[in-house]
Amino acid sequence: MKKYLLGFLLLLPVTDLLSGQAPNDPLMSKCLLSAGSTAKYLKDLRIQLGQAASESEFRYKENMSLWKNTIYRFTICTADDSKGQLIMNIMDETNKIILSSIDKNTGTIYPFVDLVCNKSGIYQIYFDFTEQQAGSGVTIVSMIQ
Amino acid sequence: MRAKTISLVLFIIFLIFSCRNASRKSGEFVLTNADSLNNSNNSAAEAVEEIYRNFSSPMEIANLFQALGVPFSSDFLALSLYAKEQTTSFEKALYLGILGADLGYLNMYEKTGTSIELVSSIKKLAEGLKVGQFFDFEAIKRLSLSRSNLDSLLFLSLNSYRQINKYLRENNRSQLSSLMIVGAWIEAQFFAAQVIKEYPENSLRDRIGEQKIVVNDLIKIISPYCKMDEQFRELCGYFRDISAKYENVKITYTQGTPESTEKDGGLVVTQTESSMVEMTDEQLAAIIDITGKVRNKLIKVN
Repeated sequence: MKKYLLGFLLLLPVTDLLSGQAPNDPLMSKCLLSAGSTAKYLKDLRIQLGQAASESEFRYKENMSLWKNTIYRFTICTADDSKGQLIMNIMDETNKIILSSIDKNTGTIYPFVDLVCNKSGIYQIYFDFTEQQAGSGVTIVSMIQ
Repeated sequence: MRAKTISLVLFIIFLIFSCRNASRKSGEFVLTNADSLNNSNNSAAEAVEEIYRNFSSPMEIANLFQALGVPFSSDFLALSLYAKEQTTSFEKALYLGILGADLGYLNMYEKTGTSIELVSSIKKLAEGLKVGQFFDFEAIKRLSLSRSNLDSLLFLSLNSYRQINKYLRENNRSQLSSLMIVGAWIEAQFFAAQVIKEYPENSLRDRIGEQKIVVNDLIKIISPYCKMDEQFRELCGYFRDISAKYENVKITYTQGTPESTEKDGGLVVTQTESSMVEMTDEQLAAIIDITGKVRNKLIKVN
């Protein structure tokens, strides 16, 4: 018993060192890696939603300014224990859909979407999980050249 | 004997964890209240929150420089602030924003080894505002020195600033959060104003002109505090001057339908609609001039 406790104590500094690594969230780390080596991190959006009581519009919204002459990459990652898959729509200030990470005709869900932005402004980024099920996930917004 | 050993070990574990968490838990911090405002400023906090979410990172301008092939220049950095002692919360918050933009610029150009001095200055400022607990300085230093894992470094740096802003807003210190945003913006705008003198590229010209969208928001987040003290009064005046230079700059839009293609398993969407900036050379020159003047007054050079 003493041996195990001593071993645990010796491990403590190691876990402390590990916690100093960035970032600590495994899903975030995985998603940062998925963004690719040419992508430069800008922002992360964490989404956690329960099962929707009734069918509605996408339930999570963030506003973000996007600038002309920039290519933005949205890397969308769903936590393993989620019931649905995280999906995203981006709308402009006039509520026009600019892009969707799901192709409603084929059902394809894209793990990342690159937006070649030619119009500066404030955009609305909407998220939900497929069939409005419960889930959690992360989206990394980065810039690519 | 066995029970004693277990008790001792558990006590040591307790000590280690309680010390380790002490600097991380924001709830345990006691503010001096010197720069806390009462709850009547909740609406101002909400405005800052909304604008902060919309606010573009100073790194986006550095990304544009890189796309244009602009080399790194340390001449743009607010080097005079590095070793300076700040006395007021106003200065600490404003300079935290300015140095944050400098850090973003250095990181984007991967001049991470040279950013250690800057990180130490940021640490001092953050601790002066009692928000040092949100910066994992050791991890930032380690990543900076190792010159590897740029994404983790960008994540840590930006995330620290984000947490500070959130914490200040949630603790009735929105005026400090506003100052950080204003500081980061003026520094990034200063970079752009300096670079365009040597690289008069249209995309950079557009980016400077498009800041008209942001200037009004910045005025909105500092205006509740314009009468608070002399430093805020001056700052509000400076931003009114900047806004005046943007008055006749026009942003127009063309319509179009986005085009989509699949690439490497992902989707690439290209906007065919665009925004265009109508700005004369004289208007641009006036914006460059006022930007330099305001930024240098704020960091007290010239």
